[in-house]
Amino acid sequence: MKWPAIGIGIGAMMLCGQGSPDNCSFQRDPRSFLDAELHTIREVHERTVRLAAKNGLRAASGTRHSPAGTLPRRNFIDEEILGRLEREGIAAAPLTTDAEFVRRIYIDLAGRLPAPVEYRDFLSDTNPVKRDALIDTLLFSQDYINRWSTWLADLVQNTRTAANVSQNVSGRNAMNDYLRQAVYRDKSFRDLAWELTTHSGNNYEIGSVNWSVRTITPGGPAQDRYDTAFVKLATTFLGLGHYDCLACHNGRCHLEQLSLWGGGTPRTEAFKMAAHFARLNITGRSVPNTDFYSGSFDISDRATGTYDLNTTYGNRPNRVRMGNVLNLTPEYRNGKAPAANQPWRQSFADNLTADPMFARNAVNRIWKQLFQLGLAEPLDNLDPDRLDVDNPPPAPWTFQTAHPLLLKKLSARFVESNYSLRETIRLLVSSTAYQLSSRYEEPWQIDYVPLYARHYARRMEAEEIHDNLGQASGNWTTYTPQGFVDTVRSAWRLPDPTEPGGAAGAFMATFLRGNRDTQPRRQDGSILQSLTLLNDTYIRDRIRLTSSPTLRDTAAFRDNDTVVEQLFLLYLGREPNSVERAKALAPFAKATTTALRNAAIEDLAWVLVNKVDFLIHY
Amino acid sequence: MSNKDYFGFDWRGIPGTRFWRGPHLGRRVFFRHLTSAVSGYFLLPGGPMERVAHAAQAPKSTADFCIFVMMDGAPSHIDTFDLKTGPWTPEALNPQSYDGILWPQGLLPKLAEQMDAIALVRSVKPWATAHSLAQSWLQIARNPVSGQNRIAPHIGSVVSLELGSRTANQTLPGFLALNSGSGQGQGYLPAEHAPFYVSPNGAALRNTTHFDTKAIFDRRYALLLDMEQEQAGDPAFGSAAVEIGKWKEGASRLMYNADVTRVFTFDANERARYGNSSFGAACITARNLVRANMGTRFIQINVGGWDMHTNIYGGGLNASNANSLGRIFDAALGTLLADLKTEGLLDRTLVVAMGEFGRTLGNVNTASGRDHYQQQAVLMAGGGVRGGRALGATDERGGETVSPGWSRERDIRAEDIGATIYSALGIDWTTVRHDDPSGRGFEYTPNVRDDLYGPVHELWT
Repeated sequence: MKWPAIGIGIGAMMLCGQGSPDNCSFQRDPRSFLDAELHTIREVHERTVRLAAKNGLRAASGTRHSPAGTLPRRNFIDEEILGRLEREGIAAAPLTTDAEFVRRIYIDLAGRLPAPVEYRDFLSDTNPVKRDALIDTLLFSQDYINRWSTWLADLVQNTRTAANVSQNVSGRNAMNDYLRQAVYRDKSFRDLAWELTTHSGNNYEIGSVNWSVRTITPGGPAQDRYDTAFVKLATTFLGLGHYDCLACHNGRCHLEQLSLWGGGTPRTEAFKMAAHFARLNITGRSVPNTDFYSGSFDISDRATGTYDLNTTYGNRPNRVRMGNVLNLTPEYRNGKAPAANQPWRQSFADNLTADPMFARNAVNRIWKQLFQLGLAEPLDNLDPDRLDVDNPPPAPWTFQTAHPLLLKKLSARFVESNYSLRETIRLLVSSTAYQLSSRYEEPWQIDYVPLYARHYARRMEAEEIHDNLGQASGNWTTYTPQGFVDTVRSAWRLPDPTEPGGAAGAFMATFLRGNRDTQPRRQDGSILQSLTLLNDTYIRDRIRLTSSPTLRDTAAFRDNDTVVEQLFLLYLGREPNSVERAKALAPFAKATTTALRNAAIEDLAWVLVNKVDFLIHY
Repeated sequence: MSNKDYFGFDWRGIPGTRFWRGPHLGRRVFFRHLTSAVSGYFLLPGGPMERVAHAAQAPKSTADFCIFVMMDGAPSHIDTFDLKTGPWTPEALNPQSYDGILWPQGLLPKLAEQMDAIALVRSVKPWATAHSLAQSWLQIARNPVSGQNRIAPHIGSVVSLELGSRTANQTLPGFLALNSGSGQGQGYLPAEHAPFYVSPNGAALRNTTHFDTKAIFDRRYALLLDMEQEQAGDPAFGSAAVEIGKWKEGASRLMYNADVTRVFTFDANERARYGNSSFGAACITARNLVRANMGTRFIQINVGGWDMHTNIYGGGLNASNANSLGRIFDAALGTLLADLKTEGLLDRTLVVAMGEFGRTLGNVNTASGRDHYQQQAVLMAGGGVRGGRALGATDERGGETVSPGWSRERDIRAEDIGATIYSALGIDWTTVRHDDPSGRGFEYTPNVRDDLYGPVHELWT
């Protein structure tokens, strides 16, 4: 924890106050000098300590449900989420128990279940702010970097081969390094978007330019590529995927029922947005196959070039001269054009990162990852005209989110934190709203969904399942992804879903990792998944004593009850309830020999892998 | 077709009522949406759909099954389905005329025996000559790069979705993909319509028996069911638990199931009849799938290696070598057509074999191979298609279509082939679904409102 840092911060403030009477720092709002990280910690800490002193933090946990007014409000997220529930008289789910919380926070921040020792340490910890302490520990862990750099790589779709172009192993790895560095150093999300948009160089050397490489658009004129370049940026960093429609036709007669903004936007706006990339130069390196740079691309800016309305074939409808206008120059959707001598891509990046949709889109995506349901959906098709709490949309339209004010506050805090991924995650997971149970025993109504009256369960991701099995069995495989010098074992360290191939790759493909191109990650189940968990040798090798060091350690416990509990913690990250415990123990009671006892251990390990909550993050 | 959905609600006139603000959906439907990473699929039974029928053309409905042979790498059309002879043609190719259709009898002898069932479509033009792009294009019957097509399902997934409800025995998935292991998926459609990947080798379907004995499996499964009772209704998991239970049920239907095992097992003799190859194994399995009729309607078989930039006649298309790719392909596909015909199954099974594009014309290149070329030809058979003829024609070199051979009077495209498959299987190719995540509408055949593409119904006449 960083408590001493607060002391230093306050100390520095006092000194500063003495030194300059004009700037009486100790009267300043702490927010103006505490950095975002301390700000979030401090806000939650103060409230939590106060609440804990008053009525015990977990007074509400374990009860069937909670009037929202009685739950602790730990930051402004709770003011919005719990406040709305209270106003509408809707009960919130109970607060998670410590057992539920530790399982959830490990999966969300570390991409795996807590190990039994981590689980027990947390439950026996008497620190009243132990949840915040654990959040802080995890946010600065290697696991966090692995898991969230994969989130970022999914977002920017880093992969070796896509349908339109191959970055190849070297390009993919360069981008992978870039993204991991970004998460490790908590690079400002604004800087990240700016760099992806503007960087030049060779894609095997400069990771970030792989973004531009992926804009290559076969089967059409150069304008198709300019379109792809801005549509990808607008979709990923603004949530304005409707530009993909607008690059072909006006919004009128197409988007009116979907988007207030899109319905009134003409194709020419998309042209002018795309024109920012009319000078983006992408050339393949012409070198022999044996050369390191073979298959690489060089990205640069040309000094000349416009977006010309003269196409007659390709991926988009013909672009036709408008009156006398043939050669379009850039104009951002806010009406700004590049300054003289400013590279066009930079002008776009400046406007992109200052766009009010930039912060909204980012926090909405982070929110979705942690709450399973975005504040505004669908994520890729946000409607700017229905998200601004200060400018409600005209009837019959409604806001695209149930929480426009929360979206505004989150966006503002995101900007204030210098677009910090880590601090935004901290803010979200520190809230009571995030820490609500997924149990909801009152009648559930669909109206409650956008109000987050409970936490929503989801299926585990392929990487989570992989890592959970590795950790539970102790039977990790090490992989050497192509072009890597060192080996990795966590699936979150893999640079893209083409790795690692082999049995583990096939296993994870079954759980729909997608390909970061044409096939998105999916949460669906399938018969193949069930067959795999029931019968695949990949599972066999993770439930057998002969191939599992942890199972052998577990077998060494003499007490059967301890064995059962340990197995539940290993495979499911929770303790058995009393009925499960009794049923699980029955075969052990009949096991008269070591061989029979070992068989009971393997049977139970297999059962736990096939139990429904092995697959569910709740 | 009514625009009202399952709840009798017309969504079209309601601005901004996609998703959460729409009519209240059941919890299950919501969770299906919630658990979908593309935030997409929420098809309702009899959900909102429209048909854009321009001409009074009904689907042909002459086939119950489709076997789609994806010749990855792109075969040389002028050496196979649109044979053009010249000084480059090896004698062993043995060009023969079958009722005016020139055919490399030496390279493809078994298929030659089936010429009465085969229709060669020669006016086909691919959109691109980059492998993965053109392959994707073909399998989703649209441009994979532009617009919302990134969420487009494979043709086979659409077939599975459409025909699933019309299939009595649903033991096996609707869409089986043999010998690929990955590729175009179900797009935004639910996972049950995903390609079910199998690499057949004559042994039972993978993971349909337990890795320990059946007795051990039964003991474990009993304990699982016993312990699962505790959780089936756990409110923490929502309906996800119920759905996982459903998959487990589907899986157990396949396990220790003699009928299923029969589909996937075959002996060495059978394997030899089909030419002792993995492609042959897939063709045997495809025949068995059609024969068994246990729910599978679309079978894709991938057979790669056609990217013959070098030594084409000494290597892949070496007619004198029974182990060359051309001969292996012929032995398996020819035997498949023969078997289907003998058993009376070919009439209801549309077979389509094609690559993603064609190869360069005339003399071979300096490496004695052929490079990528934007003209190709397709082999079709069965499923009501009239055989023994070629549809469309190219110029004397095989470089351009000179006679399209169908009513639209232009080159046939991947989109048209998709529509043709749909029509054969009784699926209205003008369908527009309104359950896609963007709400833009998913057209089975792109640009259907403008009637840009459509089935090649001339194949039936």
